[in-house]
Amino acid sequence: MRRVIYHPEYKQYNLGTEHPFSPLRVEMVLDVLKELGHEADFSLPEEVQPKDLQSIHDSDYIEALEAVSAGKTVADIGKYGLGTADNPIVSGMAYGARRIAGGTLLGARMLLDGSAQKVLQLGGGFHHAQRSLAAGFCLYNDLALAIREMTAKGWHVAYFDIDVHHGDGVQKMFYNSENVMTISLHESGEYIFPGGGWLHELGRGMGRSLKLNLPLEPFTEGDSYLEAVEKVAEEALRWFKPDALVVQAGADAHFSDPLADLMLTTQDFERLFQKIFKMSEALCNNRLLITLGGGYSFQATARIWTILYQMFFGLKFPNELPDAWLARWESKLKIKIPSRLHDPNPAFEPIPRKAEIVRTNRDLIQRLMDAVAADWL
Amino acid sequence: MLIQEILHKNPICVAPETTLCDAYALMQKEGIRHLPVLQGEKLSGIITDRDLRLATSRLADRPFEPGASVSEVMTTDVRTAHPKDPVERSTQLMRELKIGCLPVVEDGQLIGIVTSADLLDALLRLTGVHHPSGRLDIRMKDSPGELARLALLLSERHINIHSILTYEENNQQARLVLRIGTMEIVSIAAMLCDAGFEILWPPQRSCAE
Repeated sequence: MRRVIYHPEYKQYNLGTEHPFSPLRVEMVLDVLKELGHEADFSLPEEVQPKDLQSIHDSDYIEALEAVSAGKTVADIGKYGLGTADNPIVSGMAYGARRIAGGTLLGARMLLDGSAQKVLQLGGGFHHAQRSLAAGFCLYNDLALAIREMTAKGWHVAYFDIDVHHGDGVQKMFYNSENVMTISLHESGEYIFPGGGWLHELGRGMGRSLKLNLPLEPFTEGDSYLEAVEKVAEEALRWFKPDALVVQAGADAHFSDPLADLMLTTQDFERLFQKIFKMSEALCNNRLLITLGGGYSFQATARIWTILYQMFFGLKFPNELPDAWLARWESKLKIKIPSRLHDPNPAFEPIPRKAEIVRTNRDLIQRLMDAVAADWL
Repeated sequence: MLIQEILHKNPICVAPETTLCDAYALMQKEGIRHLPVLQGEKLSGIITDRDLRLATSRLADRPFEPGASVSEVMTTDVRTAHPKDPVERSTQLMRELKIGCLPVVEDGQLIGIVTSADLLDALLRLTGVHHPSGRLDIRMKDSPGELARLALLLSERHINIHSILTYEENNQQARLVLRIGTMEIVSIAAMLCDAGFEILWPPQRSCAE
């Protein structure tokens, strides 16, 4: 059974018209589905209540966030990471975050009660949010909430993060946990946010060797990326044998993303999603919960998530995007949108350092596997 | 940053008559390399794992027996730090003397210890790596007002600076390593480049225009 979760109120998570984390990205996807004549059938989530977030956030953080979101002034709000360029204070944002967290939580519950085997949550993926800190566009950590719901029932959960930024918030919340494996593939944090996600971050105590990080070289292309997925993620899941797989499917590893420098194409994302479906079926008890995430090239992000939706239901959309849709969004966003679902081939000029990048990534994969080998017997 | 912010309180100590064997076992058990030696309440020496290994080595002229007492082997001329010392002063002292730790003494009482590992941790804290952030490495004119100009450009965009490290290069240039709270490090780098700052990191970033 496959279910898609979405609620129109997700749009309340809007950090401003100039902010990169825009609800328009999902609207573009919904609009293209409509234009293609696809009748979407959504499961509508309830919002979670502030008290239900106490398993993953400190109560003073929840109170402060709810208060500023309701227009009240809170002294010292900066210590919670709020009121910054990345996490500005916008009226109603906490409600939007709770509505979206409710969706990811509903996904976990569907897997738990068996009402769905595969769930696609059309939002969320707030992997940077910490116990007491808003960071990197994220307020409430919906992923951690969903994972905790499942571990509370005794499940072992694997978390796979393909967002181009390190999944630091989720990793941190389960750093000691033996029930949660986190695997994050991201661009090396030499300069991009959040600056961690190094190879040596392997987990602590009972969680040792269950937290895996691959900080890939800037300008890494699809083949090298997928090699890492096969050699690290697939092996890790084969060994860990989780009861369910949670995936943060940020689209910002695309080559056109303005915030980062990985070089995946839509074809690479298609192969990556294929791999994720296969891994969840063969190695994760056939239970899969996918959320969205980053993705700041709007045109690429909309196309990538449309491809994800299409594959999720085994649909076959035409490669030519509908003219009316193109015209509508080109005029609304004032950008040029490629007229096809998939990128042209080749999609960009050859990367001069390619051979060196592939070698460096391979070395990284080897070192990571060597580091965990002793614990993975 | 002061020594009192990074020191280990209530360090594990031994008495002068403790045997080398016991001191060695204690270091192994606690995973430490330095033991202050207390005569009553007074700091009378310090003994390190290196002291023990050298003193008992079969290669030594007259190796000490495992049952010898710590007081025969320890360093008695102990250099110490004060809790109000700046960390850089203590670091200088440790480098000068080529030693790996300083007992911290206040009013004649041993109150803590700092080791080279603590100073590395302090350096890490100074770099701001523990806070989710992006990294910038900038070269700029070493003249009054330049840093203010940079800070203003960031503050206008509501971007928090988590750490600033700066050092002098030759030719009146200053190098600056910042960690700032932004997901948009690439566009911020381009903006600063446009404003006349030389961006060394992120690498290969030119100005927006």
